[in-house]
Amino acid sequence: MNSSPFSLDKWERLLVDWQIFAGGFLTTLVIAVLALALALLLGIIFGMFSSSHLRGLKGVSRVYVEFIQNIPLVIQIFFLYNGLPLVGIMLDKFTIGVLGIGVYTGAYISEVVRAGIQSIPVGQMEAAKSQGFTHVQAMRYIILPQTVKIVLPPLTNQAVNLIKNTSVLAMIAGGDLMYRADSWASSQLLYGPAYVTTGLLYFVLCFPLATWARNYEQRLKSHDVQATALPQKSKKVFWGGLPELSKKGAA
Amino acid sequence: MTTLKKTCAALLAVSMLALTTACSGSAGSTSSAAAAGTSGAPTQSSASSAATPTLDKIKAAGVLKVGVKVDVPNFGLKNTKTGEVEGFEIDLAKAIAKDLLGDESKIETQAVTAKTRGPLLDNGEVDLVIATFTITDERKKVYNFSDPYYSDAVKLMVKKDSGIKSLKDLDGKTIGVAQSSTSMKAIQNAANTAGVKVKFDEYATYPEIKAALDSGRVQCFSVDGSILSGYVDDTTTILDDKYSPQEYGIASKLDNKDLAEYVNRMVAQLKSSGELDQMIAKWKLN
Repeated sequence: MNSSPFSLDKWERLLVDWQIFAGGFLTTLVIAVLALALALLLGIIFGMFSSSHLRGLKGVSRVYVEFIQNIPLVIQIFFLYNGLPLVGIMLDKFTIGVLGIGVYTGAYISEVVRAGIQSIPVGQMEAAKSQGFTHVQAMRYIILPQTVKIVLPPLTNQAVNLIKNTSVLAMIAGGDLMYRADSWASSQLLYGPAYVTTGLLYFVLCFPLATWARNYEQRLKSHDVQATALPQKSKKVFWGGLPELSKKGAA
Repeated sequence: MTTLKKTCAALLAVSMLALTTACSGSAGSTSSAAAAGTSGAPTQSSASSAATPTLDKIKAAGVLKVGVKVDVPNFGLKNTKTGEVEGFEIDLAKAIAKDLLGDESKIETQAVTAKTRGPLLDNGEVDLVIATFTITDERKKVYNFSDPYYSDAVKLMVKKDSGIKSLKDLDGKTIGVAQSSTSMKAIQNAANTAGVKVKFDEYATYPEIKAALDSGRVQCFSVDGSILSGYVDDTTTILDDKYSPQEYGIASKLDNKDLAEYVNRMVAQLKSSGELDQMIAKWKLN
């Protein structure tokens, strides 16, 4: 028997119990996907609120963002878990995971979206309105599509953070990957393989997402070059002009 | 180009991980450094057991580093007034220090939890762990355990107003247990025999389980009886049921054989001289 925390026999014992980790991985994945959907929804809504000119909406958004951003996630989750039952609201752990982490990340995403919207020149909105677009239509068809490539990198950071943040559910026996790893590692006293494997599993979730977003951003930006390079030669081309046009323009 | 970049990134990530693995593997003694990831070291570690390298090292340092609990009343609890950790297990550590170093004050305590006690032993931050550490066959494969110095049964704590009187009343309910504790296994066996279905939630610390009991997340708080008695209040009660006695041992790193043998002799000596019983009586653990 070897005394190293990473000796081979310890890895073998982990392989025997692989289903524990697989189950946790699946739970983490499902919670992360649902929480991300919720966070994006909240983020876009509140991001539009805080960039609007209506004071009421702006205020609501500020309160949400400041309140959520400035309290540790651990405390928010602990409150949802042990605080709410005291007033008669008993959410199950899965809901707490999706809701707690979704709402938390939503605040950050709303700031990302706000910054994205505000980076689009005011003229874009004015032009849209002069063409008869309503505010919502202008947002939907003119402003938001342009913000996508600006907000994509910070948005990816948030999504990756969200996945890693699901690990706080371990604290409330959430059944996620971190919880299973803690549980297994401490009952067998084999923390070495357990935490290395868990770290790798989180990596497997986060790395492809980050890579995909980087590539997607590159693709969007490559379109950009065509569109912005064009006006120098031809007179006027809108964003995302037809490729045939750009070829002609270049030639 | 992108594929090349991707491959580079992936390689970098993997090599970083391997480095971390190697580093934490070698943080302990030299024999484990040679072993990081493989199982080639047992010859080295067994060769060293003839001498007393670990004991010599502790004597040279002049201080015995002990991992203890700081949140278990009567065993190891931090006195908020003095800032000192006090309890039965601290006294036990002092007795060992007195014998080994000639002065019972030459101990350095460090708070451990279920998650940290293993790593702290492996990297040499503590020489011994005396922290309500239950001996099991599986654990003996990973660390040295002394003969038991205390034996305690698993008990159940419930809210008074829940009307739960025995394990049978817990059918379909959730029981809060501590991570790394052996109470889950004990209760599960008892529940199987009684034909009762129970679920378990594991928490990292005892106060967290108490919070979950108070909020109604779990209907029962189950750990070793002596630990549980520190958490009783006006609204909770401990049931009479007792389950498989848990035996606490003093843990040391697996290749510190000389230290383990010494500690074992020491426990036997404290038992035969009656000192151990006196300590148990002092902390009202009977």
